[in-house]
Amino acid sequence: MLTDSASGLPLADWAGHRLAKLADIAASPAIAALNGASLLGERATLNHFRVPGLQSAGGGCRLLPARGDWIALNLARSDDRELLPALLGSAAFDPQDDVAIARAVTQQDATTLLQRGREMGMAIAMLGEQPASPARTVLSHGLAAPPSAKAPRVLDLSALWAGPLAGHLFWLAGAEVTKVESARRPDSLRTGDPVLFALLNQGKANVALDLATAAGRAGLLRLIEQADIVIEAARPRALRQLGIDTDTLVRARPGLVWLTITGHGASGPAADWVGFGDDCSVAGGLSAELARVTGQPGFVGDALADPLTGIEAALAGWQAWRAGAGCRIGLAMSSVVAQAWQAEARNDPARWEAGLRAWAAVEGAPFPTVSRRTATAPVAALGGDTARLLPC
Amino acid sequence: MKPGTRLKSAACDTEVMVIKCGSGTIECGGVPMGEAKPAEAAVLSSDFSGGTLMGKRYVDASGAFELLCVKPGKGSLAVDGTALVTKDAKPLPASD
Repeated sequence: MLTDSASGLPLADWAGHRLAKLADIAASPAIAALNGASLLGERATLNHFRVPGLQSAGGGCRLLPARGDWIALNLARSDDRELLPALLGSAAFDPQDDVAIARAVTQQDATTLLQRGREMGMAIAMLGEQPASPARTVLSHGLAAPPSAKAPRVLDLSALWAGPLAGHLFWLAGAEVTKVESARRPDSLRTGDPVLFALLNQGKANVALDLATAAGRAGLLRLIEQADIVIEAARPRALRQLGIDTDTLVRARPGLVWLTITGHGASGPAADWVGFGDDCSVAGGLSAELARVTGQPGFVGDALADPLTGIEAALAGWQAWRAGAGCRIGLAMSSVVAQAWQAEARNDPARWEAGLRAWAAVEGAPFPTVSRRTATAPVAALGGDTARLLPC
Repeated sequence: MKPGTRLKSAACDTEVMVIKCGSGTIECGGVPMGEAKPAEAAVLSSDFSGGTLMGKRYVDASGAFELLCVKPGKGSLAVDGTALVTKDAKPLPASD
């Protein structure tokens, strides 16, 4: 097995240290057996990605020069391109044509694009921006409960990578985990990347709910009532618009730990910004740091904000649950990235910079190989446990 | 109207960004929207008072119009008197 440092994957050491801490407080041999590089690089290894330059490893996000700074524009969703004429204030280009988009972006002011894109709900970031929120913050306090000796019951309302990874780490540490998916809008990773989906969601029970119906929302509330830890990774307004007030739920149940994972924060204007792994890594200053060290901006790792935040969320959640401290904890992906690389840069600047130079030097080469994990437990079908866990 | 244009409601707090625009008058709360807010607020029509939701995209039946709500308000959106409806939530990326 490659050690984290030998993997050539920046921040693998940081991930390894956080996992070691989680393994220690959860007394979990399964977590102790993980390695940081593996969790950061397994999606890239499974998908045979290459070391990225100005286009992200997964291909959805690009760094584009605009007036005054570089912009990271993530067009990973199928209808993001429909928004480009409005973002760029012109219908005079083909939104499917990446060269035409890049040309249009060069003529625009970077800060204006960033503000307008965020207002429009696009996953966009600027090379030189500072994260808007702290990496980890207590959003509201609930009531304390006597710490339990039993493993926690975890309700995972999240999709894609960061939140499901946190749920997966809880499962590895012995928790009973139930994943909730929207029946109308299931986790797109299920079909988009079934092997990664299986790794992250193996062993979790699965409930499918139609949250547009009163019955679906009532089902969700019943599941929340039985949970010790909830993982949720939607923008705060999504639950509010469903009539669900997270802070009230946290105050209603002594000891309930609610993890809110966002791209850029859960309060103020940043609560409405969208963020995915690659653009959040840019917003966390990682690509600017690469540019400072090597002279060239580029993406570092594969959507690093996702796995880093998943690990950090599991650690924060387990610590709070063990302490019996009911609360809602916010984790902001862009800031988790900033916290991780700044810690590494402070810890050993020469080694950190050498790592970034080595990363930039292998642009275009196959992604560093990390030890591959395979799913060992079954993956529940969408809604496979709905009838059992929500009997009428 | 250019995509990216911001329009304000004359009758409530709603503000939208034009994503797609056909020919017709865009209204909120029963009165035409404009790039500037009128000095005196117009009266909100009870027929167009369902409210707008932050971040939702509103479309007409023909697909010619698409508006993104960037500030919510009490009025509801229409084109030439025909109410717009919300577009389904964006599908998430297959992977991000």
